[in-house]
Amino acid sequence: MRKVFGLIFLLVILSGLTAAWEYHLMGSSRFLSLANLKNLLPWIGLYGILALGQAMVIITGGIDLSVGSVVGMVGILTAVLVDKTAMPAILAALIILCLSACIGAGHGLLVAKVNMQPFIVTLCGLFLYRGIARFAAEDKSQTLGDAFGGLSWFGAGTVLDLLPGGPPPPGQPMSLFMSWASILAAPFLVMLMVAVILGAFLHFSPWGRHLLALGASEDAARYSGVRTVQLKILAYITCSVIAGVAGLLFGFKIRSLGPSNFGEFYELYAIAGAVLGGCSLRGGSGNVLGVVLGVALLMVLRNLVNLLQISSQLEYVVIGGAILIGVFLDEMFTRRAERMRKKSVAGARAA
Amino acid sequence: MRGFLAVMICVFLAAGCGQPFLAPNQQPSPDAPGKIRVAFVVNNASDFWKIAEAGTTKAANELGVEVLFRIPSAGTAEQQMQICQDLITLGVSGIAISPKDPANQTAMLNETAARCNLVTQDSDAPQSNRLCYIGTNNYEAGREAGKLIKECVPSGGKVMFFVGTMDAQNAQDRKKGIDDELANSGIVLDDVRTDETDRAKAVANVEDSLLSKPDLACLVGLWSYNGPAILNGVKSSGKLGQVKIVCFDEEDATLQGVKDGHIYGTVVQQPFEFGYQSVRVLTDLAKGNKAVVPESKCIYIPTLSIKQDGVDAFWARLKSLTGKS
Repeated sequence: MRKVFGLIFLLVILSGLTAAWEYHLMGSSRFLSLANLKNLLPWIGLYGILALGQAMVIITGGIDLSVGSVVGMVGILTAVLVDKTAMPAILAALIILCLSACIGAGHGLLVAKVNMQPFIVTLCGLFLYRGIARFAAEDKSQTLGDAFGGLSWFGAGTVLDLLPGGPPPPGQPMSLFMSWASILAAPFLVMLMVAVILGAFLHFSPWGRHLLALGASEDAARYSGVRTVQLKILAYITCSVIAGVAGLLFGFKIRSLGPSNFGEFYELYAIAGAVLGGCSLRGGSGNVLGVVLGVALLMVLRNLVNLLQISSQLEYVVIGGAILIGVFLDEMFTRRAERMRKKSVAGARAA
Repeated sequence: MRGFLAVMICVFLAAGCGQPFLAPNQQPSPDAPGKIRVAFVVNNASDFWKIAEAGTTKAANELGVEVLFRIPSAGTAEQQMQICQDLITLGVSGIAISPKDPANQTAMLNETAARCNLVTQDSDAPQSNRLCYIGTNNYEAGREAGKLIKECVPSGGKVMFFVGTMDAQNAQDRKKGIDDELANSGIVLDDVRTDETDRAKAVANVEDSLLSKPDLACLVGLWSYNGPAILNGVKSSGKLGQVKIVCFDEEDATLQGVKDGHIYGTVVQQPFEFGYQSVRVLTDLAKGNKAVVPESKCIYIPTLSIKQDGVDAFWARLKSLTGKS
């Protein structure tokens, strides 16, 4: 919980500094405007979904490097399937999502049963699925969305589209209620839903506690009767299916998908978001709210580089530097808290 | 030993299975005596190169030569080096390459040029020993785009550029062309935003820029996917019709945008001609005809500006070339 407060604190400080800087420069803040929130939320949603799936695997002490390629493969294969076979889009999507579940099961089996290292298994996946996507699409860029009709709302829509009467014509002033509805982006809502489901599983069910225990010490968990193999496989399946869903949503949002680069490097955003959100790469710790906030922080950083007109060349410096400082401070606070605890224990003994 | 055998069997099986998956023009053919064999090496996988491939195929059929078309899957300079070495081993008489990183590939290009006829296409490496360059003059393409910008914002204003990375020579040349064309026109460049070829980020860049600079008059996409990304970002920001869009290349979404009137115009290259002319030049060189290379060592393929009135005809031709329906 301490990590969550830390992240909220960091977000508030960052937003405050950005807004103050904007006021200093031009007397108003675009960063804190509703329009910017409207721009930010869909991206937080899309990358957040990926990071939540990734967190499940990281908690077991594993890692999934293939999520970017799974995003690419699911988006591209679905588009190709709809294009070539003229089957209903929803059926194509379900078939491909089943395929991504199989991919996850494959990763899980190789890691948990065969004892291969997750880094290697999923690194091979990264190459494999990218290649499959390119081969299936013959390197031609694809488009997703039109075939799905109303379903593409989940990637590109907002609550405003659902209101009776739909969105008002552009230029017409919107009521306060409507402008808030236009901010609530569908992918963000999907992410909240995923977060609630995973949060309930992880923090309020015995299996979630087992998953954390397994990540902290696999042997200890196994000897205490936790079904480690099944749980690990489940974690990898969850991650891949979630990546698949994200693949479809990203596809609806971006629309024009290049087989060779759609989803490339997204695994790094997912991992960075999860780690920033308090998941330890050593396994055994992590919470859903933290991951959501971690991704939000990443996206806010990316956003403010654009808004403050910081040169694009410096963007990675800002993001890399901010993550490093965040993780460093977190480590310092953890140590300090540890020392305080020891001191108070020693004090209690002396007394 | 058993492990080794199993691995070997797998390798042979994989090699066997690999055959049917080879593209038609990558199929290893028996060395037909006297048939000239040339190669076309690209820098990554994209629709653009599909069109060039159609050009190489046409030239190959007309001239009776064999063309090996190679796509580096990771799109790196190292991979291009490996591909060139393998092609020379296969006995090609000439290679037309689009160097990924021209400034740092000089040694590799010179090594290749010493062993076969080497021309650059699409992207040039003037300091290497390549025989000539075949492709777009990106500076002139930039000037074409600059003319489009002047047409659509006649009263002047701010423009912003969107591109993958600015370190690519074509991005720099295009930008310089536009800058020179816009000099003293009342149109000023506000900023350049890069997205490192991540299409999601390309969209976010547009949305953020429209917010931070509400007075932008025109958005310019320098690379092919920037056109659709700008259109997407302008749409989601609800500014369709309020800002003009000028872009490069011919992605489907770009052409649809031009057709719908949301994009003012796009400057397209003619990759079909890159493919066709490269094979023609390499074939002539293989026959010993050095006169095919002009004095300037550059064969420029002109660009076309596609606006709403010409988009249908252009698109129809494109579809017939790429085999898309």
